[in-house]
Amino acid sequence: MVSEIYTHKNTSPKPCANNGLLAGRRVVIQPNMSACGWLSDAGSPALEGFVALEDATVVARMRDAGAELVGSSRMSELGFGLAGDTANRILSGGEADIALVTDTMGEARVAAAGSAVFGFKPSFGMVSRSGLVGLVPSMECYGILGKKMEDIIDTLSVIAGKDKDDPSMPDETFPDFAAARKPLKMPCTAGVLKECVDLLQDRERKAFRTGLARLEEAGLTIREVNFSEFDLFRVVHHIVASVEASSSAGKYDGVRYGHRSSSGKNWNEMYLNSRGESFGSGIKTFLFQGAYFQFESYPAFENACRNRRRLVRTSADLLGSVDLLVFPTRRLEHDAWRAATINHIYDAFLLTLPANVTGQPSLHVPSLALHAGTDIGVQLVGLRLDDPRLLSIGMKLSSTAQGGASHEV
Amino acid sequence: MEYRDRSPCGHLTLSDTGKEVTLAGWVDALRDHGGVLFIHLRDRSGIVQVVFTPESTPQTVCDRAGLLKSEFCIRLAGRVAKRVEGAENPGIATGEIEVVAKDLAILSRADTLPFQISDKSMVAGVAVKREEAVAEDLRLQYRYLDLRRPKMQDHLIKRHRIVKAVRDYLDEQGFIEIETPMLTKSTPEGARDYLVPSRHYPRSFYALPQSPQLFKQLLMVGGMERYSQIVRCFRDEDLRPNRQPEFTQLDLEASFIDEGFIYALLEELTARIFQVGEIELPRPYPRMTWTDAMNSTGSDKPDLRFDMTFKDATDIFAETNYSIFRHILSRGGCIKGINVKGQSEKLSKNVLQNEYAKEIVPGFGAKGMTWMKVTDGGLESNIVQFFSDHERNEILKRFGATNGDVILMIADPSWSLVCSALGQLRLHVAQRLDLIPADVFYPLWVTDFPLFEATDNGVTSSHHPFTMPDRADFDPENRDELLSLRSRAYDLVVNGEELGGGSIRINDRDIQNRIFKALGLSENEIEAKFGFFLKALEYGAPPHGGIALGIDRVVAMILGTSSIREVIAFPKNRSAFCPLTEAPSPVAMEQLAELGLLELGGSPSLPGSKKQQTLIDSLSWVSRIRMDAEERPGIAAAIDDAKAYADLINSRCVDDEPMFSVVTAANRTRQGTESRVSPFAEKGEILKNAPSTKGGFFKVASILE
Repeated sequence: MVSEIYTHKNTSPKPCANNGLLAGRRVVIQPNMSACGWLSDAGSPALEGFVALEDATVVARMRDAGAELVGSSRMSELGFGLAGDTANRILSGGEADIALVTDTMGEARVAAAGSAVFGFKPSFGMVSRSGLVGLVPSMECYGILGKKMEDIIDTLSVIAGKDKDDPSMPDETFPDFAAARKPLKMPCTAGVLKECVDLLQDRERKAFRTGLARLEEAGLTIREVNFSEFDLFRVVHHIVASVEASSSAGKYDGVRYGHRSSSGKNWNEMYLNSRGESFGSGIKTFLFQGAYFQFESYPAFENACRNRRRLVRTSADLLGSVDLLVFPTRRLEHDAWRAATINHIYDAFLLTLPANVTGQPSLHVPSLALHAGTDIGVQLVGLRLDDPRLLSIGMKLSSTAQGGASHEV
Repeated sequence: MEYRDRSPCGHLTLSDTGKEVTLAGWVDALRDHGGVLFIHLRDRSGIVQVVFTPESTPQTVCDRAGLLKSEFCIRLAGRVAKRVEGAENPGIATGEIEVVAKDLAILSRADTLPFQISDKSMVAGVAVKREEAVAEDLRLQYRYLDLRRPKMQDHLIKRHRIVKAVRDYLDEQGFIEIETPMLTKSTPEGARDYLVPSRHYPRSFYALPQSPQLFKQLLMVGGMERYSQIVRCFRDEDLRPNRQPEFTQLDLEASFIDEGFIYALLEELTARIFQVGEIELPRPYPRMTWTDAMNSTGSDKPDLRFDMTFKDATDIFAETNYSIFRHILSRGGCIKGINVKGQSEKLSKNVLQNEYAKEIVPGFGAKGMTWMKVTDGGLESNIVQFFSDHERNEILKRFGATNGDVILMIADPSWSLVCSALGQLRLHVAQRLDLIPADVFYPLWVTDFPLFEATDNGVTSSHHPFTMPDRADFDPENRDELLSLRSRAYDLVVNGEELGGGSIRINDRDIQNRIFKALGLSENEIEAKFGFFLKALEYGAPPHGGIALGIDRVVAMILGTSSIREVIAFPKNRSAFCPLTEAPSPVAMEQLAELGLLELGGSPSLPGSKKQQTLIDSLSWVSRIRMDAEERPGIAAAIDDAKAYADLINSRCVDDEPMFSVVTAANRTRQGTESRVSPFAEKGEILKNAPSTKGGFFKVASILE
């Protein structure tokens, strides 16, 4: 049942229910999402051999909605970045229609760009994370990859909503996703960040402009806007995420589950050795950085959180003057699947991580911005809890996008 | 209401009925019967019920009483009344009466308590509803509240009684209490010293005393003849659950005495203090030499409340064909065993082989264990087939074995390993099978310790270098002879716990010199460490000796508490930390500079070299993640990145409040729900993912080696 691209391959994916919203659709998940009886090791020796005892809320909801769970992909260690992740290969290989990919810094959207499908990160807080093996609790959420916009809207309708098993969910009223399927109200203005476009190489900028032109064809108005603190998104994400990761990873002790070192004479040594052997070099480096901020430079962590508030506010202010913001999804020279060091990972997700810092919804629309056959992606970002509007724009662009996709094939 | 008229709550009795009294104390518990309020008022003497009723109490007082909450400190006046028939509470000493309140003053309000203090029910026959056991660190953090509990008050009062009994008796015996310095010079007691830097002598340190050893001997040279002191001592030893960095000793020393004096003195003394806990110690205390103790129990502090002492079986197997024993004996080893009488049913073959032989005994350091069950006059075991008929018969005879017995034997080339492992096994089996009688106290003197212990290249003192040897004619260069010397030391052991120890000291400069020579100390070292003391021996030092008794341990044993922290007002926790004051704590750089401690580390480190290494190692420790040598450079570079990020973000500082989450945290206190055991835990499924389990628990490495 273990293969090169699957952590767990489900031999009997047919669900009991056959009349749900997701009936007949094949879904692949990641092994950090608990599925009862499946190896759910989050790609890490820290959970070596961990077999989930019950379904994550999201997994249970998808099963109930009739989805066929084909298995879990391989994934990067604890879901940080995409090194070794195979969700896009499973989708491209036609073995699944929908994939769930944890989005901590843009993994779902960048993975979607790599398999010519739509990729959506919903507003932070709308989907229960009970049963998700997490690393960065203030930023990560389930991302949805789907070949069609309907796949994304249907999946989101099924998995979103309150859950008593996830006490971290806010007391907010979540939007009704029916609006997502309705035609987009025009006019609609899309803002492009000058500071973001300035970062791009010429060929990237050219491809991005092609994508913007397709948006204009679809009836959107494009406007350039300024975000002078844009460069802070990366450093804020890095400091906050490393601190949260260091804290979250504290629970991996090799006692209740996971890897136990064969050496270690006493409790402290058992702990030091087991954890030393439980983390790969990338994540370990990140945890040390987190420990540095936590124990040696806590004011920097607080200042990062102060700046986070400012970034959230500025971003929301901008979205008062335009209906959505547009970014490319990824860079040409930074392959997220090869990025294994912390700095390379941050390079690869530079354009997607702002939405994780702000908790805003973000949709990757495929095949609009191509450079020599490589899709750098068009990524739309909207106000928090304004997911339906973002999705309805996606529906509108869907015909354009699918035209593009057929070119590539 | 005047304090000088105050009556102790716990002393009121039926004979006080009708009396007007003034009381002061704390509100232990309250019960509101719609208009009639009952409280338990507690002071050090006990608890009395007070009633506020509209019939007898002025309305303003009733209103004020309505404000009362647990642990408010109050003063009140009222009249003692017999309780109505059927309302008595035998759970408290004053249960037949109550005080009808006339006046009330709230002296001091109490905040919400971190844990419940009251443990007396207000209703007869109803157990008080206690929260789950309070975590010890929380108790220590709020020790002043913990001390309000009658149990803790009783412990400290009894401790006072015990210490007073000690002082009274020693005073009767002509001992005088003399204080010795706390800021002193390091003494050779074997443990690490707590050091105190001197401001006037930069880079020089006082040591806190590990014991007043040298001072009490100097007091004898000073002609004080009989000295005693209840003294605080300090040892910076490795953490153990029942050990405190500072502890209290009864320290005494006397001149012109021998061992007999100490035995008689201490037997009477300990017998008296155990009486505080209503414990009669059997006298006289038996004596056992160290060699006998090791040979019969494998311990220098034998627990003789139960038998199961060792029998030596080495000679039985002198000609054996059993290869493992033959091999061990050919290397000069020995075989000892115990007979677990009549416990064959409780010790199954599975337990003996798979638990004891394979897991438990190897944990005691022995390579293996041999077990034999006695059935129908024969022996049954996995290896008994290798024994000859003669050997089997001799075993039965040697161990006095009868049907239903289990014989456990350990063989090893090392005598001390056999003793130590079998000794631990003896205790383990006794505890497991509940063979140790409760409420029995078995005091014992252990005597004739070896004077020296072997080290890799010489010898070291087993006790301390001032202990008198059993003979003076030894050659300090002859290691074998040194190791055969016995000391005139004695330990007082009760129930397998060492309560105290001491010795007759050397009062002869020549013997003392030869002891130091035996220890391999050079003239210069001797002079530097003990010069002042040796000089004193040259001025007519009298023969003398003494003993020290661990007061915390003695009190804990007399009161039967689970740890010595229960009999110390403000102890450190198991990690030698004080949750109340948060000591030890960092100090300001200025303080260190003033003490000249900043320059002690040598020259300042080069950037990125040692300091960086220390930072990485400290991060590795605090986050409990070991790193390889190959990983270190990458991590060092990442820490440099992190520092650069810290500088960047600090330079772009803004005034906003920190945002830790983009959503507002919701209050998820689920009221009205009860804590429950997860079904996964109940069925044991939770253990399925564990890398190592044992008997329904997660198995981990021990906390200490």
